[in-house]
Amino acid sequence: MFEIPWNVIAMQFFFGIALGCIFVLLSSGMSIIFGLLDVVNFAHGTFAMLGAYAVFVVISLSGSFVVGLVSAVVIVGIIGMIVEFLFLKPLYGKDPLLPLLLTFGLSVAIPDLIKIIFGLIGKPVNYPEALSGTLMLGSVIIPGYRLFIILFTLVALISLWLFLKRSDLGMIIRASTRDSLMVQTLGINVSRIWTFGFGLGVGLAALAGAIAAPMMSATPDMGVDMTMTAFVVTVVGGLGSLGGAIVGGLLIGLVVAFTAFVAGEYSSVSMYFCMALILLVRPRGLFGEQGRE
Amino acid sequence: MLLRTEKICKYFGGLKAVDEVDFVLKKGQLKSIIGPNGAGKTTLFNLIAGAYLPTKGKVFLKDKDISRFTLNRVSRLGVVKTYQINHIFPTLSVFENIRIAAQVRKTSFNFWRHAASYKEVNELAEQIMTQVDLQEKRNWPASTLSHGERRYLEIGIALATRPEILLLDEPTAGMSCAETNQCADMIKKLNTELGLSIVLVEHDMSVVMSISEEILVMNEGRTLVEGTPREVSDNEEVQRVYLG
Amino acid sequence: MVNDNTNTTKLQELHAPPKPVVVYGTIFVLLFLPLVLSTPLATEILIWAIFGMGFNLLLGYTGVLSFGHAAYFGLGAYSSGLAFRYLDASLPVGIAAGVLAPMLLACFIGALAIRKRGVYFAMISLAFAQMLYFLALSPLKHITRGEDGLTHIPAMAIFSFSLGKPLPLYYFVLVVTGVMLFVTWRILQSPFGKLLQAFRENEERAKACGYNTTMVKFWSLVISAFYAGLAGSLNTVYLGYVPLTTLFWLTSGTMVMMTILGGKGTFLGPLVGVGVFLFLQNTISLITPRWELFVGAIFVAIILLFPGGIMGTLEEKMMAYRMKRASK
Repeated sequence: MFEIPWNVIAMQFFFGIALGCIFVLLSSGMSIIFGLLDVVNFAHGTFAMLGAYAVFVVISLSGSFVVGLVSAVVIVGIIGMIVEFLFLKPLYGKDPLLPLLLTFGLSVAIPDLIKIIFGLIGKPVNYPEALSGTLMLGSVIIPGYRLFIILFTLVALISLWLFLKRSDLGMIIRASTRDSLMVQTLGINVSRIWTFGFGLGVGLAALAGAIAAPMMSATPDMGVDMTMTAFVVTVVGGLGSLGGAIVGGLLIGLVVAFTAFVAGEYSSVSMYFCMALILLVRPRGLFGEQGRE
Repeated sequence: MLLRTEKICKYFGGLKAVDEVDFVLKKGQLKSIIGPNGAGKTTLFNLIAGAYLPTKGKVFLKDKDISRFTLNRVSRLGVVKTYQINHIFPTLSVFENIRIAAQVRKTSFNFWRHAASYKEVNELAEQIMTQVDLQEKRNWPASTLSHGERRYLEIGIALATRPEILLLDEPTAGMSCAETNQCADMIKKLNTELGLSIVLVEHDMSVVMSISEEILVMNEGRTLVEGTPREVSDNEEVQRVYLG
Repeated sequence: MVNDNTNTTKLQELHAPPKPVVVYGTIFVLLFLPLVLSTPLATEILIWAIFGMGFNLLLGYTGVLSFGHAAYFGLGAYSSGLAFRYLDASLPVGIAAGVLAPMLLACFIGALAIRKRGVYFAMISLAFAQMLYFLALSPLKHITRGEDGLTHIPAMAIFSFSLGKPLPLYYFVLVVTGVMLFVTWRILQSPFGKLLQAFRENEERAKACGYNTTMVKFWSLVISAFYAGLAGSLNTVYLGYVPLTTLFWLTSGTMVMMTILGGKGTFLGPLVGVGVFLFLQNTISLITPRWELFVGAIFVAIILLFPGGIMGTLEEKMMAYRMKRASK
């Protein structure tokens, strides 16, 4: 076998981590929603797509990338809360498959709505100027934007962790994930917590979509692939586990990046193989609790 | 000795729900398990039925170790449980509820023959419906039955699998006084006329005292006393823990 | 126990398997379908109805949601297509290949994932279907022809009777549909069919009765893959080529929508759902290319307002009426 220079491998590793970071944001949102509401959100990638379009719109209005990112989360989060309130609330306590089916219906309808508003062709989102350059780390070339993705994800995850761990609302969310009936008895309106939790999870998806937008531009049909990725990461990491979403997301990111490098035609298939392998070796996923799957 | 447990334990985290209990059931016996709330009655019951895996200890059925067997395997061996909260097939008819259970020993993965052509299965189902007094509701969806009727259906489903040992989990829960007496009579009949060995977990003291041959009193996961109804009701410790 | 009515024997179970007249009547009505609809649309309805009958056994009667049934449909379509194109297989051999391969795949996926709880199984099945889609798209391009789909499949004949024309093809597919309707009807009345429904109603209790419920789910999946594969290979015969979309996730999704629309767990639900869905799709796409928006919105409304679908809601209404009369 011919030699691959180590700095090329290091660069692929770096690409993989950056891609994985997007998957981590996506899947941790999915994980929060599942943990809190027991809902598998089929429209998760669709919300990520909305996030990409939101960042496109806000940037063209305000010209600022950071403002775009923040408002994408807020806008999509609010849309998510409305969706939860109108469509998902009536289904709680019924057949557990219904919310999955309903969000599936949304994932069919919403992309068409976007096509009507924005047209069939995707909207390009420019890299923010300050991040469009590259960085040299020894002999390893690092694109600035990928470095930004990694740092930004790190900040987002730490704030999420602090929010869940320290704030009152975060504590209530964690408690509701364990036992919502108990929280209800304490006189807290759990119904509102659910709405907020769905908004939060969907907001994280929007962040993933928005941050990915400059690399792949916003297209109406990007959602499904993102939903699939979130599913695969969730199966690999373990259902309803934040730690699983992080490790699973990074792992899948690396797998995809390296197969794209070594055998390009297998890059889309590789993560599914990875999932099948994990199912064979460790059926409940890397971090899944026994019995929850 | 038909069924026995040997120092059986079930821990949920730090909670010792059942702790080293030896339970013995002789053939043809009707034995009750009583105790205050949280004494571990239902847990012991589920350990015997195979619904839970024991943390430690063993369950023997006729000297065969069944400790690690799952619910469906234990059921096939003739040890069948009923549920405290109704576990029926709600949209299926009463007859179908019982027939499903009745076909378990005959056939399960035949997907061509007409189910109605299994004569013995249907006869058994009809017979069970008469035993639990539901023949008049034969074609009603189970979800339309009254609470009392559902409790009977619950027992009917278990009976239809032709068990050797019937595990009844609070069969009279939620029944009126008259219904309770009727139900107690039926249970006694199953024991004397069909020769079924029965384990009964029950809250209603009058039922337990009137129909049991032997009683096991549990408290905090352990055996407190074991004996005839007379011995148990005279026991001071039982009175202190349970009745007092 | 007091019981003061005598009409109870007239009561029918909810979602009971239909009387024979329904089965034969349906086949009779389908004989005339090409008079009302265009023959290609009618053929398509039958093919999807076969797919739907199998899917309904799994979702409607067993209560297991597979979100990746395109895998079985598409694998069936490709297996027969490859057999026809490269091996010059005859019609029965090609169809046999199109049925067996999906069943084997179902055995594999079932062994890996059928023990999982509902939503988890749905996700895993979808992921496996995507895996097949991407495999056919690029790594196996040299045999599957990737995005272009598998073309140059010769027209088929049965007993030197050409299926190249629309109408003979329709009646050939109708014969298969009739057989599958009959088979479904037999399955539903068999001990196994009854067991499926008991499992859907209460898995725990079915287990307590002594049934190995994992095997119930497993066989239900494999049987359902049989139907999907059969429909897939008929689709190949009908189109004369295999589009890559047979493996696409939206094919699975469409099946889910059709079944829910028609009424999951009802005998005629899949047929009705497929008919209404394809008719709507054809009509709306004449007006606007954005038919998915309407179909998706209708589906959401059905989930919220009539989760029983068309036939399920009808049956519930009839049941309520009968109950009312019986208890008078």
